[in-house]
Amino acid sequence: MPARRRRTGSETEPFIVIGDRNSNWSQQESDKQSSFPNNVTQSYYIEEDDYTDNYVEPEPIMTARDRTNEFATTIRSLQGRNIARAVATNDPRKAKVIQSHSEFMLIARNVGKNIASTYAKLEKLTLLAKRKSLFDDRSAEIQELTYIIKGDLNSLNQQIAQLQDVSKRQKQNGKHLQSHSCSVVLALQSKLASMSTDFKQILEVRTENLKQQKNRREQFSQGTVNTSLPPSAVSGYHQGSVLLQEQDQVSINLENSALIPKHNQMQTMLMYDETDNYLRDRAETMQNIESTIVELGGIFQQLAHMVKEQEEMVERIDTNVQDAEMNIEAAHTQILKYFQSVTSNRWLMIKIFGVLIMFFIIFVVFLA
Amino acid sequence: MVKLYCMSILYKGQTNATCLKAAYDLQGFSFFQRGSVQEFMAFVSKTITERTISASRQSVKEGEYMCHVYVRRDNLAGVVISDHEYPSRVSHTLITKVLDEFSQVVPASSWPEITERDVSFSQLNVYLAKYQNPQEADAMTKIQSDLDETKIILHNTIEAVLERGERLDDLVAKSEGLSIQSKAFYKTARKTNSCCTFG
Repeated sequence: MPARRRRTGSETEPFIVIGDRNSNWSQQESDKQSSFPNNVTQSYYIEEDDYTDNYVEPEPIMTARDRTNEFATTIRSLQGRNIARAVATNDPRKAKVIQSHSEFMLIARNVGKNIASTYAKLEKLTLLAKRKSLFDDRSAEIQELTYIIKGDLNSLNQQIAQLQDVSKRQKQNGKHLQSHSCSVVLALQSKLASMSTDFKQILEVRTENLKQQKNRREQFSQGTVNTSLPPSAVSGYHQGSVLLQEQDQVSINLENSALIPKHNQMQTMLMYDETDNYLRDRAETMQNIESTIVELGGIFQQLAHMVKEQEEMVERIDTNVQDAEMNIEAAHTQILKYFQSVTSNRWLMIKIFGVLIMFFIIFVVFLA
Repeated sequence: MVKLYCMSILYKGQTNATCLKAAYDLQGFSFFQRGSVQEFMAFVSKTITERTISASRQSVKEGEYMCHVYVRRDNLAGVVISDHEYPSRVSHTLITKVLDEFSQVVPASSWPEITERDVSFSQLNVYLAKYQNPQEADAMTKIQSDLDETKIILHNTIEAVLERGERLDDLVAKSEGLSIQSKAFYKTARKTNSCCTFG
C-alpha cells in the first residue's frame, strides 16, 4: 500500500527511521504535481503518494534501513528541481518563469505550514482560556502561549508581505500564473486575518474570565469574613456589614474580646498599599481561631457522649455488686442457721451417743 | 529567630518625615556596630515613611531585615524593623496599637513642631521588649496557641476516657463473676442447711 507522507518542505534529507514503515519522512516536491493550484492547499495535508518519478519505495522493515538510494535520488531531485526542468524545457525565458514560480510556491508552502501550526496553538490557548475553575489557573501557560502566538502572527505577516513582493516581482509570468499567485496570496492573507480575529476574541474572553474570577474571589473572601462569625459575636455583627462600606478609622480594641470584628480603614486599590494583605491576614487568623474553637466544641461534645455511654456500664457494675452482696448476706444467714442447728443439736447427739454406749456396754457385758 | 530591632514613630510632613520617638534593641550587634546600625535604621525609617502614601501600610524587604510601615491618615507614621520571620500581621498590629497610644499621650497639634527630645513616651521601649516574643504579646497569636494547647489536652482527655471505658468493661466482667459465685455459694449453703437435720 502506498505509504502516507507528510509535507516537510524544510527538510533536505531523510532520516534513518528504525522500524516503522509508516513514519517515513522524506522530501516531497510539490512541483512534481502536474496542476499548480493544488500546491498551496495541499501543503499541510497528509496525502497519498502519487509520485512515480524519482522516488524509491522503502525496503522492508529491518532494524536499520539502508536508504542511501533514496538519499541520492532526493539530492538529485532537489538539485534538479529548478534546473532540470528548466533545462528540459529548453527555453531560457520559460525556465526563469518556472524557477521564480517554484520559489514563490516554496514560500507559500512555508507560510501555509506556519499558519497551520499557529492555528493549533490558538486552539490550545482557547481551551486554556475557557477554563472557569477558580483555582487551577494556568496563567503562566496562557501568557506564554499568547506571547508565542503574537510572535507567530507577526512573522506570518512579514512572510505574507514578502510573498506579495515576490509575486509582484514576477511580472514576466503569464497572466494566469500571475492571477494564481495573487489568489494564493489573498487566500493566505484571509486565513491570517481570521486567525488574528480569533486571537483577539480569545484574549477578550480571557480578560472577561479574569474579571469574573477576581469578582468571585473577592466575594468568597469577604463573604467568609462576614458570615462565619459565630452568634456570640452578634453584638458586633452589624458592624461587620459596615465593613463593606467606606469607613473612617476606628481604634482597635484588642483587650476586650477576640471575637469583636476589627475596623480598619478601607483602602482604595493603591499599588503599594498592603492594608489589604494585612486585613486579609487578620481575617484568616480570626477564621483559624474560630474554626479551632468550633473543633474544640465538637471534641467536648464527643467527650460528653463517651462519658454518658460509659455511665451505663458503671450502672451495670453497680447492680452486679449489689446482687453479689445480697447473695452473700443470704448465704451467711443460712450458714448461721446451720451453725445454730448444729450447736442446738448437741443434746440430741448426747442422747444418741448415750444410747449407743449403753448398747456397747451391754454387748461387752454379754460377751464377757 | 523572630526578633524586633527597632520601632519608631514619625510624623510625615509635607516634604520630609521627622522622627518623634524611637526605640532600639541592638543586643545582637557587636558594640562597635551599634552606632552605625542605629543611624542606618533611623535613616531607613525616615526614607520609607517619606515614600509611603498617607493612609496605607507597607512591608518592605531590606537586605536581611523587613521594614513594616504604617502611615495614618493624619500623617502619623510608625515603623518597625524586624527580621524575616517576624509575622507581618503582628508587627502591623503593634504599630497600630502604639500609634493609638501615642496619639492619646501626645496631642496631635504638636506633632509637626516637636523634636525627639520633647517627647516622653517610654512605653515604646516597653512594647519593643514585650513584642520580642510575638507568641505571647499579640492577642490573636496567644489565643491561637492557647487553643492549640487546649486541643491537645482534650485529645489526651479523650484517650483517658477510652482507657476508662476499657477498665469499666473489666470491672463489669469481674462483678458479674462475683455475683454468680455468690449466688452459687448461697445455694450451697441453703442446701447444706435444709437437706438433713444433722449429719
